[in-house]
Amino acid sequence: MDFFSIGLVLACASAGLGALWRMRGWFRRGAAMGRPEQGRPRPGILGFLGMLGGGLADLVLLRRTLRSPLRWTGHTLLILGFVPLIVLHAMDGVVTRPLFAGYEPTLDPWQFLRNLFGLFSVLGLPLLFLNRYMALKKFSRLQDWTLLAVVFGVLVSGFFLESFKIMSAGDFKRMTDDYFVDAEPEELISLKAYWARENGVRFREFLPTAPEMLELGAELHEDRCAGCHSPTSSAFVSRSMTALVPASLHIADQGRDLFWHVHVGLAFLGLALLPWGKFFHPVATGINLLSRGGSRATDTPKHTLARGLALDACTRCGQCSLHCSVAQAHRVLGNPDILPMDKLADLRRHLDDRLPPDRSAALVEGSHICTECLRCTQVCSAGIDLQDLWMASKKALTEAGRAGVDGEIRKRTAGEWARELASRDLGRVGGTGAGLADRAESFWGCVQCTTCTGVCPVVAVSEDPSRDLDLAPQQIMNLLRMGLKAQTLGARMVWSCTTCYKCQEHCPQGVPVADILYELRQLGAEILRKKEGRS
Amino acid sequence: MKYAYFPGCKIAHHLPIHGRSVEAVCTRLGVELLRPEFNCCGYPVRHESRDASVYSALRNLALAENIGLDLMTPCKCCFGNLQQARHQAGQDEKLKQRMKDLLHEEGLEFPEKARVRHFLQILDDLPGGVVSAVSRPLKGLKIACHYGCHALRPENITHFDDPLAPTIFERLVAATGAAPLPWELRLECCGYPLRGRDENIADLLVAKKMAGASSSGADLLATACTYCQLQFGSENQKRPQTIPAVLFSTILGLALGLSPDEVGIKPGDVLTRFVV
Repeated sequence: MDFFSIGLVLACASAGLGALWRMRGWFRRGAAMGRPEQGRPRPGILGFLGMLGGGLADLVLLRRTLRSPLRWTGHTLLILGFVPLIVLHAMDGVVTRPLFAGYEPTLDPWQFLRNLFGLFSVLGLPLLFLNRYMALKKFSRLQDWTLLAVVFGVLVSGFFLESFKIMSAGDFKRMTDDYFVDAEPEELISLKAYWARENGVRFREFLPTAPEMLELGAELHEDRCAGCHSPTSSAFVSRSMTALVPASLHIADQGRDLFWHVHVGLAFLGLALLPWGKFFHPVATGINLLSRGGSRATDTPKHTLARGLALDACTRCGQCSLHCSVAQAHRVLGNPDILPMDKLADLRRHLDDRLPPDRSAALVEGSHICTECLRCTQVCSAGIDLQDLWMASKKALTEAGRAGVDGEIRKRTAGEWARELASRDLGRVGGTGAGLADRAESFWGCVQCTTCTGVCPVVAVSEDPSRDLDLAPQQIMNLLRMGLKAQTLGARMVWSCTTCYKCQEHCPQGVPVADILYELRQLGAEILRKKEGRS
Repeated sequence: MKYAYFPGCKIAHHLPIHGRSVEAVCTRLGVELLRPEFNCCGYPVRHESRDASVYSALRNLALAENIGLDLMTPCKCCFGNLQQARHQAGQDEKLKQRMKDLLHEEGLEFPEKARVRHFLQILDDLPGGVVSAVSRPLKGLKIACHYGCHALRPENITHFDDPLAPTIFERLVAATGAAPLPWELRLECCGYPLRGRDENIADLLVAKKMAGASSSGADLLATACTYCQLQFGSENQKRPQTIPAVLFSTILGLALGLSPDEVGIKPGDVLTRFVV
């Protein structure tokens, strides 16, 4: 077994097994998200064709990346070049040769196209790099850069490989040994002279430049070589690159071997890494875009597999996080799971039971701060129905007893919270110093007239306020006046206040009752964040 | 007239007809709406963090101020929180400085001028009034107006209308040719803020309100807030309907002669029988 065979077998094994593992994840995670509510009914034939058209337009034209022209141009160039290179060049033995009679990799248009496609791709990459650096740097991880680097390495080593092959006297000898066995010495010299001059091969020996020798070489070339070999100048990039190597350096054969190993090795590395991490996005995102059929809403028919696939299709482009309508909450609270991109990654780990407990609290908080504004779904360039994922995951988390701050508070009684919190210094609210609940001025007007309680709609609908609410608003004000803040924080009234401000509006003494209830809630949320080690 | 349009988060997915009817009505009345990419008003996150809430709100005001426009929202909770944020930053120097710093990091200035207007206020301010534009008066339609808390209270911050005896909504309903009916619970909370927090009380509140509106003798309940409509409309579909809840933008749109489709009414909707 040689380098190529071993590499190919290992890379294919990694790619195949990994892809199966990824697809298993689509089913498992999809099922773990819970049963989808039925969306729009399944489309008819025309609807299906429309969806297919929308999906193809997203996939082929990369419509959804148009928001950033730099990214669209870079991606389009890369795909325009890279896909034909994989199909026609890397898989020429199974695709190009059977399809095109008389195919030889050294013949045009293939030799020319290889350079052209390579040039497209290699021009696209710096744009993608620039886009990532300028717009998405803070969202980027090692694997985002690695993917760019591996593709760049494959392309550049390919150009060098071809360049050194053009210059290689060893390759010339191999070809003439194989296909010109009956060559006379003079014929070989004139052919060499012709190839050195016309095709850029570098020979160590001195070669004649007389016109008649070159003419003989040209005749022999037409006769014996041209049928399988186009002029190397049609490989316009690689041929130009030969100028980079000084004529005095005879390293063509070594360079050819080196870059062959680098090129093939990196290509195998890319293939082996394909199912792992970001490298899989060309597959998962492509299928997801097709399955979404151009829709930017949350109205397509859903099933568990579609959700599993959607969870896998993120390219970490960061558009969702850049446009997230609660990004300001992220800036203040610092929890990355408020932003869609990181939340998606943690949701995936949560569904795989791999999310550490501290991250789990962050995921719950992020899920509950999301306002379901649909914007991430509308801007997602991978066509992921993020809105559906958030609504489903929030529901699943709530059903699993993770209903955010409110849910955590309600797990214990007001008395239990009071005992736990009484030991803490609760005098300070946030970083701002004394809050409303700490200041005597807030309460000294309170005469316990119970107007606040009397007008409270929550108190009014409760059949048993002491059971449903623990404390009435005026009782909370009274406890605070006595400095018993810890006694109030776990009270249901604080957490079931609708913030309608009736109490405050009606208070004859100007006590800011609703503002104080808000403040107690915010303090409770902050204490829970600290308790979970997240602030 | 030109405003920076602030739809709020819930319209895009949860209540698209609200956005559609508001925009259609504004177009018909010559109110031009610009659409900067606003973020959340900060109302939902106010339960978790004051700073996050105030900063979210102020950033929107800063964006509106950037294009030299006042901001218009059809949501009373958004309206209330945007007003609250400005008030809170005005009360607390340290908070204001933190907000300034956060805004500066994004290249924005602390908003001093941009006003917050609710959709109803815009209509009420129209020169000539809404009534001159009504081409299909909704004669015979009796409406119970629902005010929505966060615009109304606390009045010293929201400056919407008299918190104990507001009239703006009834005035506008009367302008459509319909008859606004007095209704005892019109100033009470719809209960939506407790959705996902205390479902039991949220359900009790909506049931009480629907029964109250129904006993007022009205044909329907009019809302002018995304959250109220979600509570009385979508969330309320689970239980037997006592009285239908309809967005005022939809009602007004019909009175202005817009087609049911333009204001998001489906065939067979309760409103269609008043506009034949």
